[in-house]
Amino acid sequence: MTGPIHRRRLLSIGGGLTVLGAAAPFAAQLAAAGSAAGQSAPDYRALVCIFMFGGNDSHNTVLATDADSYDRYYTTRNTGSSPIALLPPGTAPIAIGATSSYTGRVATAGSPEHIGGILPIVPRTPQPVPAGTNATGRTFGLHPSLAPLKTLFDAGRLSVVANVGTLVRPITKAQYQARNTAYPANLFSHNDQQSTWQAGASEGARVGWGGRLGDMITGMNGTNSLFTAISTAGNAVFLSGQNVIQYQMTTNAQPAVVINGTGSTLFGSTVAPSRVRDTIQDQTSDSLFAADYGTVANRSMAAATNLNIQFGSAAATAVPAPTPFLNPVTGLSETNGLASQLATVARMIAVSSSMGLKRQVFFVSIGGWDNHDVQNTVQAVNLGRVAHAMAYFDTVMGNIGGLNMRQNVTAFTASDFSRTFTTNGDGTDHAWGGHHFVMGGSVKGGDIYGQYPTLGVDRGTFRNPDMAGNALVPTTSVDQYAATMGRWLGASEGGLDAIFPNLRNFPARDLGFMS
Amino acid sequence: MGQMLLQRSRRIWLTVLALAVAGCGNVNDQAGAGGPSGTSSPLIEAASTKQNAARFLTQATFGPTDASVLQVQALGYRGWLDQQMATPSSSHLAYVDNRIAQIRLTNPTAALDATQFYESFWLYAATSPAQLRERMKLALSEIFVISLADPVVEVRGAASYYDMLGNNAFGNYRTLLEQVSLHPMMGVYLTHMGNQKEDPATGRSPDENYSREVMQLMSIGVEQLNPDGTVRRDANGAAIPSYTSADITEMAKVFTGFSWYHPTPSNNTFLGRNRDPESAVRSMIPYANYHSTNSKTFLGKTIPAGSTDARAELNEALDVLFNHPNTGPFLARRLIQRLVTSNPSPAYVGRVAAVFNNNGQGVRGDLAAVTRAILLDREASTIGTDPGSGKVREPMIRLTNWMRAFEATSVSGRYLVGSTRANVSLGQAPLTAPSVFNFFRPGYVPPNTRLGAANLTAPEFQIVDEVSVAGYANTMLGAIGNGIGSGTDVRATYAREVALAHDANALADRMNAILLYGQMSGRLRQRIIDSVNSVAIPGGTATAAQINTARLNRARIAIYLTMISPEYLVQR
Repeated sequence: MTGPIHRRRLLSIGGGLTVLGAAAPFAAQLAAAGSAAGQSAPDYRALVCIFMFGGNDSHNTVLATDADSYDRYYTTRNTGSSPIALLPPGTAPIAIGATSSYTGRVATAGSPEHIGGILPIVPRTPQPVPAGTNATGRTFGLHPSLAPLKTLFDAGRLSVVANVGTLVRPITKAQYQARNTAYPANLFSHNDQQSTWQAGASEGARVGWGGRLGDMITGMNGTNSLFTAISTAGNAVFLSGQNVIQYQMTTNAQPAVVINGTGSTLFGSTVAPSRVRDTIQDQTSDSLFAADYGTVANRSMAAATNLNIQFGSAAATAVPAPTPFLNPVTGLSETNGLASQLATVARMIAVSSSMGLKRQVFFVSIGGWDNHDVQNTVQAVNLGRVAHAMAYFDTVMGNIGGLNMRQNVTAFTASDFSRTFTTNGDGTDHAWGGHHFVMGGSVKGGDIYGQYPTLGVDRGTFRNPDMAGNALVPTTSVDQYAATMGRWLGASEGGLDAIFPNLRNFPARDLGFMS
Repeated sequence: MGQMLLQRSRRIWLTVLALAVAGCGNVNDQAGAGGPSGTSSPLIEAASTKQNAARFLTQATFGPTDASVLQVQALGYRGWLDQQMATPSSSHLAYVDNRIAQIRLTNPTAALDATQFYESFWLYAATSPAQLRERMKLALSEIFVISLADPVVEVRGAASYYDMLGNNAFGNYRTLLEQVSLHPMMGVYLTHMGNQKEDPATGRSPDENYSREVMQLMSIGVEQLNPDGTVRRDANGAAIPSYTSADITEMAKVFTGFSWYHPTPSNNTFLGRNRDPESAVRSMIPYANYHSTNSKTFLGKTIPAGSTDARAELNEALDVLFNHPNTGPFLARRLIQRLVTSNPSPAYVGRVAAVFNNNGQGVRGDLAAVTRAILLDREASTIGTDPGSGKVREPMIRLTNWMRAFEATSVSGRYLVGSTRANVSLGQAPLTAPSVFNFFRPGYVPPNTRLGAANLTAPEFQIVDEVSVAGYANTMLGAIGNGIGSGTDVRATYAREVALAHDANALADRMNAILLYGQMSGRLRQRIIDSVNSVAIPGGTATAAQINTARLNRARIAIYLTMISPEYLVQR
């Protein structure tokens, strides 16, 4: 915890210094900036979407630990063949095979007993106590696999946004249950809610808000505007604008794939390579499918060689590879694919200045969140991967060629939906609102934004105004969450209204978590 | 958007009609002109030309061969379909069982991995005489999805699941749905294996996973459909949902109390302990004490409380899905998209759905009749006439197409292709989708494209990007040049093409016939001819080996240029 604070202080000092004159060659500046005292941050901003495909159970990600909330949580989830109730803060992890004094059960790999208690976090702004709970003050914590995120939260570079979900307009439980107020189509459906998070509409949507933000900023990227919206995770409607087109990269050291057979000779022919180039990017077919395929090939060929050269530069190769991830269930070290994707993002950021790029939007993803069963082990590992990858990215952003780029880059989580509050025995089912993380030097960290809801399903005389059936009714819309970051990236109020036509339905246009 | 779709479908229809009236092509319009509102089935009959036969085989198989073109010409479309439907399925389970027995001769503790299933896929895709059935297996596996990407799916079980799809490909959909629902690999993949009844004391509820996805992905879909597959809309133009979350929660109770097969079931075997060796390949069995006995109300049906007969209740639930008015058009559209075209006209979907609803003998769900209706429909044979018609060929099928067209053989006999999942490879491997939503979605519309501007879906485009187009080209360059797989196990000698290699025109004609069923553009043809002619075939003192190398290189160039051309990458 002292480490990040220490670095932060250095940044604020270093940020005010002018070490070298403007006339010094850029390379010399970089070399001189190799020490901790860097330049003031360049004019560069990027937004990084970390999409958790499958619907993360945020009830076991960010928890309310005050007695009233936790009791209802524990009672509800401490049941079934593999109970999924996490244990109170301060509960020490026990070895596999040992018996827990708290639950009376034998710890198995990844079980709540094995991974230990919830990690407490203390928001800088006390959360209001919502209706329906008897709590007088609320306390919070994170899943035990999220220790690196607790460090970032405490250091003020990460915040939680509570109960975010897809919405058309504000809606109460009663309105939702009466079906008398608009809400998104196909709630609880994976593909449709992924699309609604990314593009405001069900499957088949063609314009996402990352791409629309890209439309507004791509003009700042000069001749390399092709690299405005970048995915390391396949086609994502999030990155498609009205004009901006997503660009796909691999996580290899050379991120673009050069098409072979386009060099000097092919199968003994010096003519064939040029015909290969002409053929593969031919866009003249009367078939729309064929012409569109040729267009993608054309984009692929246009940029591959140049991009790979950039990634071979000292600026890119200076970005360290992620350390191996220690799997908390198997105890083995493994490659963290999400961290590898963020390494590619970091390398792209490292070459942004030499490529004349000033604003970018990125999409990375991690699957495996549809935890209808064996949730304990799978979510513990997956949350560990997210925390490991985000902490790696934060560290790397702290020193890009000697510059602290943290305040230039904001990363945030997204997911199909959150999951049911009750367990089905060893997992959870599809639901609606959930909690998310925003990270970066421009994030007002260490806080929880939005209203953290009352927990518990209606039973007996208990009525939870925040939960319809088994799903949290969101109190913050994806549009508000997105617009807050879009404004930071540079979109105007009018631009935000154009991107998010439902934003005007909500009282707060800005959730206040960006500085 | 609904309006635009309507306009587009009308446009396609008009094109089809115009062709029929003009008597163009080799379409024998047996049933007379069906109009947009017509109920007759405009089926095609004769396969009078090699081109038509090759196009038909492109839709119905893993790729035309010289022999299969002649076969279709000899038998006619109908005769060929009958012959194919009578050809028994290959067994992937028998294949992997043989392989593990072999492997254990030298490594007694070895276990199967996905590689051995992949071997069986490529072997049978390339060589099985039951080509239509092989092709249907892949199509069905992309609708009723399980995936080897999930470590809970066992290789033996996956092989038996794939066999089950093949065994039911020309049977009845109701049987298929039941065997899918009870297959242990579907049970572990969509987590209804070991699903327990609710517990009112704690509020624990049954797992809803299968209940949701069997409705959304395998039977009725999220929106109510008209008989032609178009979306039903309310007075405000909004789609009408097919089910509510209450329907899902209620039907989830039906899918409780099923778990691993065991000859002497117990609570232990329900929980997956003491597994029977055959439990990965035998249907799940009911365990009455874990099955919900509460009443279950979903989709207008109520199963009363009190019964412990899980199997009977499963039948009742599947009957509701089977008899739902959405099921015919839902499945029709998806199967047409897998085999023929991404954007079938509503009339085409309606004709196939009508056959699903009634095969002519009063039977609902006859998949043989549905398959015939899809492949013999006039829209399938006139598909090339509209800019928005056809589909992107799946990467896996491009590779099988190469294997079959050029009679590639496996050095080991085992088709050691390995995983082709990476986006720098084919971005796709059989039975290895990233999720139950398959490699791509039936409703995917590629953003910022001509297709998108025309409001056209293009499922396969969901895995087309800057990386995958290059990955595919490089994979094919390797395959065409040296072979593919472990030790370049699968190779072709291009005997037929080498024999033509002195004549660039003949080589281009050969590519046109075997890969493009006669649709090659003049541009591609000229590029092939230019490139082929640039490789001199040495004369005079040259050795036979030098001459053969030059001829082989000419063949490789022609094949590579064709197989990376966008006009090849779309099937229409």
